[in-house]
This record gives sequence, C-alpha cells and structure tokens, in this order.
Amino acid sequence: MPREAELSLNEREFLLQALRENVRLDGRPFDTFRNVELKFGEEYGVADVQLGKTRIVVRVSCDVTAPYPDRKFDGIFNITTEFSPMASPAFEVGRPNESEVILSRILEKAIRRSSALDTESLCIIAGQKCFAVRADIHVLDHDGGLVDAACIALIAALQHFRRPDVTVEGENVTVYSLREREPVPLAMLHHPLCVTFSYFHSGEVVLVDATLAEEQVRESEVIVTMNRHGEICQIAKYGGSPIDAVSLLTCTSSALGKVQALWKYIQEKLDEDAKKRDAGGLMAELSAENAR
Amino acid sequence: MTSTLLLLPGDEVPSSLLPKGNHKPLVLGPGLRHAPPSSVRATVSGTLTVDARKNALWIETNRGRYIPHVNDLVIATVLRSSSDFYHCTITPHAAQANLPQLAFESATRKTRPQLAPGALVYARISSASRDMDPELSCVSASSGKADGLGPLKGGMLFDVSLGFCRRLLLSESKVPLPAEQGGGAVTILEALAEKIGFEVAVGRNGKLWVDGGDVKMTLAVGKALQQTDQERLTLDQQKKLAAKTLRELGS
Repeated sequence: MPREAELSLNEREFLLQALRENVRLDGRPFDTFRNVELKFGEEYGVADVQLGKTRIVVRVSCDVTAPYPDRKFDGIFNITTEFSPMASPAFEVGRPNESEVILSRILEKAIRRSSALDTESLCIIAGQKCFAVRADIHVLDHDGGLVDAACIALIAALQHFRRPDVTVEGENVTVYSLREREPVPLAMLHHPLCVTFSYFHSGEVVLVDATLAEEQVRESEVIVTMNRHGEICQIAKYGGSPIDAVSLLTCTSSALGKVQALWKYIQEKLDEDAKKRDAGGLMAELSAENAR
Repeated sequence: MTSTLLLLPGDEVPSSLLPKGNHKPLVLGPGLRHAPPSSVRATVSGTLTVDARKNALWIETNRGRYIPHVNDLVIATVLRSSSDFYHCTITPHAAQANLPQLAFESATRKTRPQLAPGALVYARISSASRDMDPELSCVSASSGKADGLGPLKGGMLFDVSLGFCRRLLLSESKVPLPAEQGGGAVTILEALAEKIGFEVAVGRNGKLWVDGGDVKMTLAVGKALQQTDQERLTLDQQKKLAAKTLRELGS
C-alpha cells in the first residue's frame, strides 16, 4: 500500500528549527490561513475550494426516496468522501487510508450530527417520501488542511444548493423541475466550520492551517468545529502528544475569529454568485418563498 | 547556433531543420526518435533545439517526472540500509535506487559513513536502465575522490522544476533557449553569492539543497530560487530579485 512520501531528516530538522525561530516555510504568521479561494459551478450545489495548493470540489445532489422506517419524519443526508489518486500517489480508489477515514468521520460529526442541515425539512410525506441529499467530496490536490478545506467547501455547497420545489395534494406529490419552478434553498440551521491547530515543540508552537510538510512533522493536532456564534460543535483530537487545557481555551477563542472571517468570505462569494444568477432582478418574484 | 520550433508528440521534424554539411553522425537527444527510413519524430511536446556544431538535436521541455540517466547528479533520500547497500529514493513512489555502502570516498568496511533513514545524499547515477533499479555512487570512478558528492548535512531541500535544475547545471553559454520559452541563463546564484555565503547542491531530480548557515539565509536563498523557477524570471528580473533578497537579509 503506498504511503505519503516522508520528509527527509534535513527537512524535518529545518522545519522545526524554523518554527523555533518563529518562521514558517511559506512566510505566513502562525495564526493565519493560506489564501482561500471559493468558486461555484454552473449548477447549484457545486463548490470548488482552493486552500493554498489543496483543492477540493464538493457536489451536492438530491433525489426523492422513501425515508428510513425508524425515522419517518426525517429526510436523508449523506456525506461521501473520495480521495483521487490525482491528489497524491498515496491515495488509492476504493481503499480508504487513515486520513480519509478521519476526514469523513470529522465531517460527519461536524455537519451531520450537529444538525447543520435540518433533515426534517427534507420530509415530503411522513413515512413515504422524502428528499435524499447527498454531498460528494472530491479531493483533487493535497497539500494539507484537508479537513478545513473540505468543511468550507461542504458548507458553501450546501448553502448554494437548491432542491426542486414540491407540492403535496393529499397523496399526490408533484416535484417541479428547475424550469417549471424556481428551486428552494436547503434549510440550514447553522454553519459550522473546522479549524485545525497543529502542535509542535511540546505545545510551545501552535499553527493554524498546516501544510502537508508541517502536518508530517507535527506532534499532535486539535480540530475545533464552531459556528460563527461561537458555539462549539466538536473538538477532535486523534492521538498525538497531550496538550494543555489552557491552550485548548486559546484555540477555541482563536477559532472563533477564523470561523467568522471564513463565514464572511463564504457569504460574500454566495452573494456575488446570487447576483450573477439574478439576471434582470426577477429572482425574488420567481422564488417559491414569494407569496404568489 | 540554435533555432526554435514547438513540436507535439508525433510531429515530424522538418528536414530543413536537420543540421547539414557536417560529417559527424547525427545525434538524437531526449524526446526524439528516428522513424525509418529518413524522418525524425518528436515523442514529447517541447521546443526543438538544434546544435549544428555537434550535429545534435533534442527537445527542450520543462515538465514530466524524472527518469534516471547515467552520470546525472541527484539528491536522494536514504530509506533503509541493508548489509551492502543503502536503499534510496530519487523520486517518491518510483523504483528505489541502490547506493553501495562502500561507494563513498575512502570508505572501507570500518570507515563507511553511517546514514540514518531519511538522510540526504548527493550522488551520481552510476547505472540506470529501464529494467533495473538505478545504482548510485558518491565517488568518482576514475579518481576515487568524492568531488563534492556525499551525505548532505543540515540545510533544507526545495522542490523546483526539472528544467530549472538543468539550467542551473549548465554554463551560461550553453543555455539553449531565451527566457520567454522557459529556458535562459540563471544568474541569481552568482548575484546572491556576491554578498552572502551559502552552499547549494542541485539534483537533476528536481531537488535543490541549500545551506546558508541559519534558517533565515537558507530560506531566503531557497525562496529566491523557487521564485525564479516558477515565475520564469529573465536575467534583469533575477538581478532585481537578488537585490531585494539581499536587502531583506540586511547585508
């Protein structure tokens, strides 16, 4: 099974020495993200995020199915991850490696279990029909920070996605195509975003948004998921060296600033995209939320 | 004398461009193959370069993965050692290269260098073929001297393009193409070396090892070289970049 190419001893030593001297290899301050670039596709629900050299595309789609028998009032929401061998020779199709499992688990907890998407709103007829929303995450290039980038892409794609409008008359369900009626945005309850903190030199150095090289050298990492109101959805730490309780507090407070800045950026991009689609300013009239 | 023409794989080299009036045999370099009876075709995309004096032509390209060739200087990473060899990688996820433990300057069973997994070595490829793992050597076969090869201590490794490594290793007069076409001479090393002292090792496998003594210096030199590569800087731009780097270093 191929593994990620390991750094040589010289690179490891240099990276650690540089961090001791408060220098990052790419010249960033310790607590800044790389350049985030978010683009939306032609269709609703396609988001393309570039975080430095890391690139992730998320596509959200939906169809109508029967709900799970034990959850009659809920729609279905699934997140699947796929690491393309294009991103790194260490990725194989159909054989998830550790980072892929961690990514899907983290996103599962961050988005699904924190009920960012209101699944009840996806129900059409209780016990019979509901929407199944599916988010496919494709990693196209890997230079560290997969969790953070995937979370940004997923939240942006969900917020950008529009499901077809439906009407229910008794037992009859009519699903309108995109041409017939303006599609409806998903009911998002909040927008959690992940910030990964990497620890070096037994907790003396804390980095935000580590690159692949830094990820390979770090002693431990903490992933904080938070929405812009400062509500923590999860704190994940998978192994690594122990960290200080106080440093966890500084992490969460610094994560809040990052999350707010990221959400502001996503919102800006969404507005920009909405304006582009709103040719002629007719969107408000076409919308299903418009009282006809 | 050089002339330039962009070729795609399968394109035929116009017979007007083949060097004539020379009694030496025609030499086809990388990226070209002879299609009998008398045409020459490109196998990669790139710019055709003709050296009429040597009766040679080849394709200059700045992409792709590194394929080992005999006598290339590379920077390899030691993976593990066995009783007679250090097993090294030249490119990750490609075939491993073997470095005999006695292929160092004045190495004997007792005095051979001990290399830990992850150590870097600057080595020459002593044998390479399509069907066998490449073999490395850190000693000149004729003189038995190291000639600058051997383990690299300290410093930092930077990734650059294969074409840039080639240009760094060529002398200025031999550079085949102008800078706009991805070729061109590199003066940034000389420009920086006028003011500051540092060590550099260039591996043909797209690796560049820099040691400037401290973190700041090493990083500044490495970044300047990477920028020269990525932004395809011309000679003037390189001089400006060198001046800027020196200014930031405060010397």
